[in-house]
Amino acid sequence: MEESELIKQAQSGNKKALEQLVKNYENTVYNFSFKICRDKERAENTMQETFLSLLKNINQFKGDSKLSTWLYTVVSNHCLMMFRNAPRHAHSSLDDEDLFNDESKLTDWTISPVMLTENKELKEILDKSIANLAPDYRIIFLLRDVEGLSTEETAGITNLSIAAVKSRLHRARAFLRNELNKSLKYE
Amino acid sequence: MNKPEIACKDVMEHICENLGEELESPKCNAIKAHLNSCTNCQNYFKTIEDTIQFYKNYNVQLSENAHQRLMEILGLNQ
Repeated sequence: MEESELIKQAQSGNKKALEQLVKNYENTVYNFSFKICRDKERAENTMQETFLSLLKNINQFKGDSKLSTWLYTVVSNHCLMMFRNAPRHAHSSLDDEDLFNDESKLTDWTISPVMLTENKELKEILDKSIANLAPDYRIIFLLRDVEGLSTEETAGITNLSIAAVKSRLHRARAFLRNELNKSLKYE
Repeated sequence: MNKPEIACKDVMEHICENLGEELESPKCNAIKAHLNSCTNCQNYFKTIEDTIQFYKNYNVQLSENAHQRLMEILGLNQ
């Protein structure tokens, strides 16, 4: 059944249709939540809150945007609120001078992305590196580069201008690359 | 017409901004030419691409227990 039809049926109280919508998106929502939080318990909590919000607001969903976009928006807002309420974590600098002026470190890496599967040490490096990136930059990087959304969709979800999304993305990429470079470069 | 002078720093900024997008302007062509002959920038470009790919490849699977808990909370468990 088409998604628009599933949504219509869910709006008229069909529990099977609602269940199918949840099943279609639970992994996406859980994964995206985990990628922001880097914590399975928080990711599960965010996923539950997101689908509770879907249940509560499904009748207001007009289909002007994709359901996935609506879900990404709820997850992003929920995670940003969680970060704001959590004890302050000192995030590293995103100034141009720090990000782009270290030509001495332009070396190749010892490990490639295909080696990620079941490599616990590498996963810890990835978790630690992205945890140092400010959450509002992290969300832009994840939406654009990891989830593959367009700049326009990302701007809509985060309520930022296109220029602000591009600027944050470009800094987030450089920051993460520099963080990984500390652990992965050839000595 | 003279080719624009390009430094590694320009390339880094531009690549970060436009990775995956069309590079057609004179500045972009100069960047491509620079990139072809600069090992530093080639390494930088490759490591930016790898950074994205690392995070794309890092996925987690929702456990059956977490799925059941979700369905219960939503009142959708049959």
